[in-house]
Amino acid sequence: MTPPPADPAVELRGITKRFPGTLANDAVDLTVRRGEIHALMGENGAGKSTLMSILYGMTRADAGSVRVDGREADFASPGDAMAAGLGMVHQSFKLFDSLSVAENVVYAAEPRRFGLVDRAAARRRVRVLAEEHGLAVDPDARVGDLPVGLRQRVEILKLLHRGARTLILDEPTAVLTPAEADTLFAVLKSLAGQGRTVILVTHKLREVLEGSDRVTVLRDGRVVARLVTAETSADEIAAAMTGRAVELDRIHAPGTPGDVVLDVSGLTTDGVREASLTVRAGEIVGIAGVAGNGQSELIEALAGLRPTTGGRVSLLDADITHASATERRLKGLAYVPEDRHAVGTAPAASVAENLAMGHHRTSLSSRGLLAPAGVRAHARQLIDRFGIKASAPEVPASALSGGNLQKLLIGRELAHEAPLLLVEQPTRGVDIGAIQNIHDQLIAYRDAGHAVLLVSAELSEIRGLADRVLVMYEGRITASYDKDEADERTLGLAMAGGTSSGAAVTVEAVDRHEQADVD
Amino acid sequence: MNKRMSTDMNDRISGALRSPITFSVLAGVLIGALFLVGTGADPIAAYEAVLTGSLGADGIGSTLTTGTSVLGMALALAIPLRAGLINLGGDGQMVLGGITAAVTGLHSPLPAPLTVVLALLAGMAAGALYAALAALCENHFGVPLLVSSLLLSYPAVSLASYLARYPLKEPGSSLPQTRALPDGVALPAFGDSTVTWGLVLVVLAAAAYWFTDQRTAIGYEIRMTGLNARFSAYAGVERRGLTLKLMSVSGATAGLVGAIGVLSFPYRFVDGSLTAPGYTWTGLTAALLATAAPLGTVVASFFFAVLQVGGLAMERTTEVPRELTQVLQAIVIVFLAARLRFPSRWFNRRKEAV
Repeated sequence: MTPPPADPAVELRGITKRFPGTLANDAVDLTVRRGEIHALMGENGAGKSTLMSILYGMTRADAGSVRVDGREADFASPGDAMAAGLGMVHQSFKLFDSLSVAENVVYAAEPRRFGLVDRAAARRRVRVLAEEHGLAVDPDARVGDLPVGLRQRVEILKLLHRGARTLILDEPTAVLTPAEADTLFAVLKSLAGQGRTVILVTHKLREVLEGSDRVTVLRDGRVVARLVTAETSADEIAAAMTGRAVELDRIHAPGTPGDVVLDVSGLTTDGVREASLTVRAGEIVGIAGVAGNGQSELIEALAGLRPTTGGRVSLLDADITHASATERRLKGLAYVPEDRHAVGTAPAASVAENLAMGHHRTSLSSRGLLAPAGVRAHARQLIDRFGIKASAPEVPASALSGGNLQKLLIGRELAHEAPLLLVEQPTRGVDIGAIQNIHDQLIAYRDAGHAVLLVSAELSEIRGLADRVLVMYEGRITASYDKDEADERTLGLAMAGGTSSGAAVTVEAVDRHEQADVD
Repeated sequence: MNKRMSTDMNDRISGALRSPITFSVLAGVLIGALFLVGTGADPIAAYEAVLTGSLGADGIGSTLTTGTSVLGMALALAIPLRAGLINLGGDGQMVLGGITAAVTGLHSPLPAPLTVVLALLAGMAAGALYAALAALCENHFGVPLLVSSLLLSYPAVSLASYLARYPLKEPGSSLPQTRALPDGVALPAFGDSTVTWGLVLVVLAAAAYWFTDQRTAIGYEIRMTGLNARFSAYAGVERRGLTLKLMSVSGATAGLVGAIGVLSFPYRFVDGSLTAPGYTWTGLTAALLATAAPLGTVVASFFFAVLQVGGLAMERTTEVPRELTQVLQAIVIVFLAARLRFPSRWFNRRKEAV
């Protein structure tokens, strides 16, 4: 590694930013040395994103100074920041799905020949960059056809092509499998080894401990800890983030299963082949699997949002194979979908209106009339019960942090007291404090005698919550384990299509074409 | 507590001032003034003429009559728009409502007052059925509502035109119009003005829309569908059924406007008289301006009625062509579409000074 020069790669001094009602950043100092991987941690709403958008020229600070590579910087736009050698990979990628990898990488900085884009040079450039940094990817592949992990590589290549010396990655592993995350960190380490600087915005402890050199922790807009990774622990970081001691990766005690609530036999739909499973009252059944192996499709079919083409589904002994979403809800089903913003809520509507959905036809209305006072009271009650941080029921749901929006969604669905709860990715993008709260809520719901079907990409979550674990691979349920059999290695192997376990079912590859359709 | 409430009020006022609507209207007025200066006219005199011409004693009746149709059509378009659906077939639904009301009024055997009620209901039914047809095209054949409603509008307008020119044409008249309705088959007017009970009906429709929107479960579902259709589908709101219902109500409202037009002066169906003033498009503009919110739709409709009537008055008194008010309307819409607003620091600075 090159010896760190005197000037840090990024130096923020006294950054203060006030939004109406909140002090997002309060005199924040952040120093990132050249050639290091620096983790910026904090719960949702701690001010990480604000700080990074100030650094990247998307927002202006009210006070404070920014220095990049020792030079005073006052970026008016991300373009300025890029020109100064910064580059950012956003949580939702900014790529053109219909263009090739090479076209995406060189976009807005194309190699030219006689004033036209030189495609051959673009392809060569991508190959060179990819080889140099161990970011193998086919320059001619269409970005829309690539898995998420590779799309992220394209984003990184894009920054490298533009000569970024400091890379900012916002929650880079949120969409990755554990194996993809490991690969990403290997790449980041090699980039740091070449003298580039990486700022990692995240709240995942494991990867920070494994992949970073130093850590800065924000809480409520202030820096609460500056740590050297080698000298700290997960507990110390978690305590700094939340301001209290937290118990990580708790394995909850098993439940006491009762009668069968959900009985699925041979369910087939687009992306799912002959799935059979049962969920009993007082039991959490977890479905593990790498994203895109049919879990979402299975849950959508069970929720009535995707037509069932074969098999039989019964809920509390009633056949609901072809029932509508409303009929299923009336028969006793609640559902927390994976995508909070696009499906689970209407972000532009108020918190109260979001909390009313589903209840508006039952407890909140009489003879079709919906009293605003009742809607507000219902909202206040759920806000209290589930600890949703909202300044008032009238504020738009888009003003809530990710964790609070998820609490809203889960609270609303739990409040139905439905015998069956379908939950997808309950804690994706949610901070530690809230994760614990959500897990406790789900366990309490189970212990109250409800059946829960849980889909999660987080193995630790599945292991901590589920009484039984099913693994989905290429549209089929390929393995089933009891709580004590489901260790991380076994599950990881089954998720990758391995069939080491005696309980495993033979895997038959699902037609590739169909898979592509599903994606 | 008091202090917090006053901050609340400040927030609300600065929110209203900062709203894109305020910005667009002010920008429209300002740019309109530049146009006026450019053509050598006195902007203050011109705007004064618009206001006195539409709101003065001579103009207010005309503004309210125009406002009846504009508000009616604005409601017809706002109702589906609230759920994110756009009904572009207002002209056809309105004209069918008008011609149906005319036929009913001419041939009903009932006494005059009941005939009026029957004609109104028949006009609404005609508009509703025709709009439902557009909804069915979307629901069952996948024709986008935008397209099906717009394209279905033309044959309806042509059919009514044919009826008024041939089978139903007033014998001996050179105009493409039906016979006049029998005596008493008319909406009662207020005093000797041109303002009829049609205004009351339309205002009642606006009140019903407000009530449904704010106080009922289906109104809630409609709003949520407009804000995020996937969210409402996830919760079990059946989109096809909702589309059909909303389009029927929308068409009924458009049909009502047509029927009111026939049951007011000139008490007959005259080809083109319903469509020529462009109520449908002014109504659509008003509904879009208000993002279909009930109260906003009423205010915006009134605003456009003032512009439309005031523009005529301005033309008479100042020789500025009334097209200027259309320019004004267009500027308001363009700015609105751009969602421009005053920068927040203008207001924050003042708030800090408080």
